[in-house]
Amino acid sequence: MSDKKLATGGRRTIAVAIAVLIIAFPLGYSIAGYLFAPGDPDGPPFLERPDPKYDSCVRETVFMRYHHWELLRSVREEVVRYGKRGDVGLSKCRDCHTSRERFCDKCHHATSLTPDCFDCHYYP
Amino acid sequence: MKVAGGTVLAGSSCAYAVRFLIASGAHGAGVDDISARKWGMVVDLSQCPADCTACLDACREENNVAYHGDPRYDIHWIRKVRLEDESGTEGMGKSVVLLCNHCENPPCAQVCPVQATYKRDDGIVIVDHHRCIGCRYCMIACPYNARQFNFKDNEDWPNKDHPRRSHGVAEACNLCAHRLDEGLLPACVEACRNAGAGALTVGDMNDPDSDISRLIAGSAVKRLKEDLGTEPKVFYIGL
Repeated sequence: MSDKKLATGGRRTIAVAIAVLIIAFPLGYSIAGYLFAPGDPDGPPFLERPDPKYDSCVRETVFMRYHHWELLRSVREEVVRYGKRGDVGLSKCRDCHTSRERFCDKCHHATSLTPDCFDCHYYP
Repeated sequence: MKVAGGTVLAGSSCAYAVRFLIASGAHGAGVDDISARKWGMVVDLSQCPADCTACLDACREENNVAYHGDPRYDIHWIRKVRLEDESGTEGMGKSVVLLCNHCENPPCAQVCPVQATYKRDDGIVIVDHHRCIGCRYCMIACPYNARQFNFKDNEDWPNKDHPRRSHGVAEACNLCAHRLDEGLLPACVEACRNAGAGALTVGDMNDPDSDISRLIAGSAVKRLKEDLGTEPKVFYIGL
């Protein structure tokens, strides 16, 4: 009687242990990978402004870092649908920040984003 | 660190305010209300030489319109069609320049399910390619066959200051709205003038003193398919 209990109880324990291992191993691997990953030696990407045609950007750096896509989207609505052209536009960004690789793509690649703006809008 | 965190908080909470901040900043000084104008075009076929392609080339260059040499994929915002007399008599044909007529009651704008095609306040029928889903309903609706679908865009990019369209959207002549907004003439009109023909005229129909208003009032103008009630704004002299 006690032998039978031990046999079935033991099998169940082993099965549960294997299931826990199967679940915990990938999770633990990725957590360990994140904790022990070597940081980016370069730090945050440097966005260059090789040709400063204007004194300052149309908006502050911090604003651009967090809201440039919202800015571009709003301007898009205004320009295309209402014809109200102003001082913001991708071609104006191009005046100072001349290279897409060393400006836009720096952060986009780092965060693996692929905005499709550049299918239509020229940015070298 | 704390400053950055505080800025992030402030920045994200300003998300709604961003729209208004941008709206006040993005209007350039001196941009008048576009609804004051109503753009129209007059095509004087008597001035249009049969073998001239100045407007066609200029439109393609200015707007990066796709050309592959393959009639399945080529897009033409402005076309020149040769109408021959039924009897086939030589010299009795005429060349007609066809483009989007920018109707007052545009059927394409009526049927667009997402309102990507719409009539701007100044009368130009324009496609917002960010919103177009490529259903091609506007192509079916247009009685003038002015709209075309972009299957493959150009490999080259003649005018890098102006965006092109990528595959999957429907496009048509937008009367060079980007040039009109800056006070320039559309590319076809300028090219026609430079070629010496002066057959195309674009102007403000709301202004009784503009060239186009005088031409419409003074000449025998005709529009295409007037019985359909679309009220096109491209007038032809000598059709």
